[in-house]
Amino acid sequence: MAIVLEIFFVSLSRSDLPGHSGGRDRDLTSASAQHFISKVKNVMLSARFCWRNASRSCQVYRKSHSISQQLNAIVHNGRPDPGKSADASGFLSGKTVAVKDNIVTKDLPTTAASKILTDYIPPFDATVVKLLQQHGAIISAKTNLDEFGMGSHSQHSHAGAVLSPFSKNGVPLSPGGSSGGSAVSVATGQCWAALGTDTGGSVRLPAAYTGIVGFKPSYGLLSRWGVIQYANSLDTVGILARSVADTKHLYGCINAYDQQDPTSLSATVRERLGRKGADAKRLRIGVPLEYNIDELSPVVRATYLRTLNALQNAGHTLQPVSLPTTQPALSAYYVLAPAEASSNLAKYDGIRYGYRTPGSDASAKNNLPLYASTRGEGFGEEVQRRILLGAYTLSSEAIDNYFIQAQKVRRLVQRDFDSVFAQQHPLLERQAEIPSDEGGVDVLLTPTAPTLPPTIKEVKQQSPVESYMNDVFTVPASLAGLPAISVPVRIIGREGDGLEETDVHDVGMQLIGQFGDDELVLQAAEVVVQ
Amino acid sequence: MHSSTLRTAPVHLTRALQHPSFTTAHSLRPCVVAKWLQSRRLTTASPRTQEVIPLRKHLKDEAKRKKAEVKRDGDVTSKKQTLDPRLDKWELTVGIEIHAELNTACKLFSSAPAEVSVGDDGGSANSRVADFDAALPGTQPQFQIATLLPALRAAIALECEVQRKSGWDRKHYFHWDQPNGYQITQYYQPFAKDGSLTLGAFDGVPAEDLNGAESITIGIKQIQMEQDTAKTMNVGSSTYHVDLNRAGMPLIEVITLPHIHSPQTAAAVVRKIQAVLKGVDACVTGMELGGLRADVNVSVRQRGTSGIGSSYSGVGGLGQRTEIKNLSSFKAVEDAIVAERDRQITVLEAGGVIEGETRGWTLGATETTRLRGKEGEVDYRYMPDADLPPLVIGSDLVQHLKTTMPMLPDAVERDLEEWHGLSRKDAKTLNEQDNGDRVEFFERTASFLLAEVGTFKSEVATTKERRKTGKLVGNWVLHELGGLLATHQRSWDDVRVTADELKDVLVCLHKNEITARAAKQILAELFQRQPAPDGPYWPSMDTRPSVEQLVDAGNLRLRPLSEDEYEKLAMQIMDANPDMVKAVREKGQKGKVMWFVGQMVRQGEEGTVEPEKAKVVIERLMGG
Repeated sequence: MAIVLEIFFVSLSRSDLPGHSGGRDRDLTSASAQHFISKVKNVMLSARFCWRNASRSCQVYRKSHSISQQLNAIVHNGRPDPGKSADASGFLSGKTVAVKDNIVTKDLPTTAASKILTDYIPPFDATVVKLLQQHGAIISAKTNLDEFGMGSHSQHSHAGAVLSPFSKNGVPLSPGGSSGGSAVSVATGQCWAALGTDTGGSVRLPAAYTGIVGFKPSYGLLSRWGVIQYANSLDTVGILARSVADTKHLYGCINAYDQQDPTSLSATVRERLGRKGADAKRLRIGVPLEYNIDELSPVVRATYLRTLNALQNAGHTLQPVSLPTTQPALSAYYVLAPAEASSNLAKYDGIRYGYRTPGSDASAKNNLPLYASTRGEGFGEEVQRRILLGAYTLSSEAIDNYFIQAQKVRRLVQRDFDSVFAQQHPLLERQAEIPSDEGGVDVLLTPTAPTLPPTIKEVKQQSPVESYMNDVFTVPASLAGLPAISVPVRIIGREGDGLEETDVHDVGMQLIGQFGDDELVLQAAEVVVQ
Repeated sequence: MHSSTLRTAPVHLTRALQHPSFTTAHSLRPCVVAKWLQSRRLTTASPRTQEVIPLRKHLKDEAKRKKAEVKRDGDVTSKKQTLDPRLDKWELTVGIEIHAELNTACKLFSSAPAEVSVGDDGGSANSRVADFDAALPGTQPQFQIATLLPALRAAIALECEVQRKSGWDRKHYFHWDQPNGYQITQYYQPFAKDGSLTLGAFDGVPAEDLNGAESITIGIKQIQMEQDTAKTMNVGSSTYHVDLNRAGMPLIEVITLPHIHSPQTAAAVVRKIQAVLKGVDACVTGMELGGLRADVNVSVRQRGTSGIGSSYSGVGGLGQRTEIKNLSSFKAVEDAIVAERDRQITVLEAGGVIEGETRGWTLGATETTRLRGKEGEVDYRYMPDADLPPLVIGSDLVQHLKTTMPMLPDAVERDLEEWHGLSRKDAKTLNEQDNGDRVEFFERTASFLLAEVGTFKSEVATTKERRKTGKLVGNWVLHELGGLLATHQRSWDDVRVTADELKDVLVCLHKNEITARAAKQILAELFQRQPAPDGPYWPSMDTRPSVEQLVDAGNLRLRPLSEDEYEKLAMQIMDANPDMVKAVREKGQKGKVMWFVGQMVRQGEEGTVEPEKAKVVIERLMGG
């Protein structure tokens, strides 16, 4: 991978990207996984603090196809079949949609950016892909990602790292991950919209880092049949688009019950979801105290406060709420997701498909267990790390202290959310006492990430635990299966002092709604964008 | 891999299976190999290589063995049937886990068709594999609700409490027969708990276990549903072929409490569970075809003590247990327990300590062999399967199944005994053969026969008649037809004689129209003929003769001799055998009378001499 990266640096400097003057690297100290709170602080303290106005948008990069290739957002280009998309009456007729490469497609190789799925061509289409095609969409490309979705910066890919079209001091920024390829494809205009997957923020974070919209619906609404599992109790198909309207449009086409996905919500459950005639004219907006920490990067904080003020001025109500499990949630996530990953990735043994080590895969001489060679060679470093972590937290000596504890935290996270929303959780037994003083809130508004995107150089210097920190604001909604959307809010005035022209000029704002309240979340997103 | 190899593994494979060391060619971590190669292999072995002992033979052998023991030990110790005096001091405790293939149309989590049972050659390899069964990326399990029905029937038959809510868990280990890298099972929340099984002497429980009671009850801890694994075959020295047709097939695992205290009872428990599962149609394939496998937990403790205070399945005060994996015949269950019990006693008496370990057993061995100790234990890393919602079973469904359950084997046998007048032994044999087809045939024949010859005069007379015809039919179905099947080495599926035909034969016999000898001849004739093409019950006249036709064609109709003719025939034989006459008259050897009867039947014209009448005549002449 190192070699591949070097090539990118060379090609980037050749394409006349602005120079840099350094001083942006993070000064992060190493810390143990238990001290997530202090970790958050470290990230905040080292966040960028730039004071320069800039106004150019990412649109600059749209025009150049060669640059977008250099961004490495795409692993396979689609083969548009004119016969197939001839149906002009489809809701998505003629629209190009890129699909993250961990969603299987019959006509295109699907690798999940892993060597272990080298040359794998699935025999079936994922349900969401089928739905796209039924509505006339053209699958334009399979997009790059962190291997099996494990990463926050799209740097851990067997196909090479993804680069953001934005840069600072000539160093490309992180596109966010793991759906970085989908986000960059949308941001650079290579497709109308894209599908990603969001396990702990993998759609919202790259959307925030590339200045577009990223929507993770409630768990169970979009079919996961054909979505390569990472952590199947959290995995959710998500949508990346340039506007909330486009997001809504695409969402409407693929939001359907699928009997092939045992976790897909049935029609009767769907009827009970959300509120009839959701209306975002007078929103009660929750401001979680735990998210509003001192260490928020100043530009993010400024944009966040301005957004809140603007909403209040527009007649919406702001209400401070408390989600005390926000910080333990991240720890719980990094126990649960690897545990499920260690299980879900056990199927990759090189026997039925994908990469297999040459020769025998079980050597008594080296005292290696079965499949050690294939899996050792086929999985990247980060995937191996998470498999090991998960195998440990599920082992009989550790399961009580890690996996079981994390499940309990997950339950608490969900209870936290339930206690602040006005809407009851539609899948839970109705509580005797209606919670909340003042009837609770409709949506929560938080920043999507504590800072603007770091450069890929900074990312490289992060320890794995440090890079897990990026998910601190996105993970709670994933644990609770709630709908959440990241929308770009323009940095204006002095907020953006110190930003280079090539830098990103939007901050991702995240809206979280009660389970099944997806419509309201989308409507609220439109309000926030305005 | 040819389709023909699916059901019957090549001989070299079977041999290889019995030697754990064969893995050197393609070596793996020992603990994995130990568990999954050494043991699983046996289940792919051909039925021919498995020792199948019919119940009748088992009971006979058992009786013989006991007789021999009594003889050897003399009357003094005849009450103690155990040979080893050490067993006075040590008490054995056994708990059993039985894995049985459910009788279903599809796999547990995919709509791929399940293996068709006996008779089918298995289809071609990897032909019944859904995307999920091959663990393709992006596939998810879809619970097939129909597989629940046989599982519930099993749970009800074993008197379990069906749990309203149960769950699915993943049990992880790497092996090529496990495409997903884990087995979906019910570890944390099984669907059925707290059942029991009652066994008596006729089930093979030895008298000392019964301890004077009519029956004993063995607790069933739980029953869980789970996936079966793929079938592996080795080709050459280091190549394996994997057939996923079996992967994902539904199994149930029945776990008994450690309530068993003798090897014979352990074997009886496995046998009875198999009979119950077959009886309620939960399973079709028995141990002899690899449809059922057992693991046994064995421990010993000094009588009157609580061992080392060890406990499992909630039963405490036990000695350290060892587990013997994958026993695939009743005999293996019994023999392995005997061997392991004796080994443990020897170790303990020598002052040693029993290690908690997994051991293996091969047929014909005298000792169990260590597969792996605690340190080599696989950590299965059980976790709930987040893709599968909990399994919720409504009490109305359970209630419905309870009311529509087929009769349990015990009930069928009681019925045969009390209603049809069979002996318990014959009832059991009849019931356990040919998946219940034999009983069904019996019942049909018996009712046909009763309809024709019964008089229905009174309740009492009817009961008497019913039991008389029942016994007659039982004899013919079990012994005469059974004898023909054995002689011609044919299975019940190919018996060809219909219930109607047997009824006709027996009607003739009952009405004294033919002799028993002639009846047997006709039955043998029908047995040899091609089956009627038009269907089993209404044989076409042109291809298959009726019983009537056969009687006439063979000139078999009884033409009763007159009293004079009987006497003439008797005198003839008596004159030719003066020594025999002397033996009866002077030495009083009454038994020889029957020899004369036999001679009369043989020398008289076919279908003329009735043995009963002949006996009367001979006795009169001898006395005179």
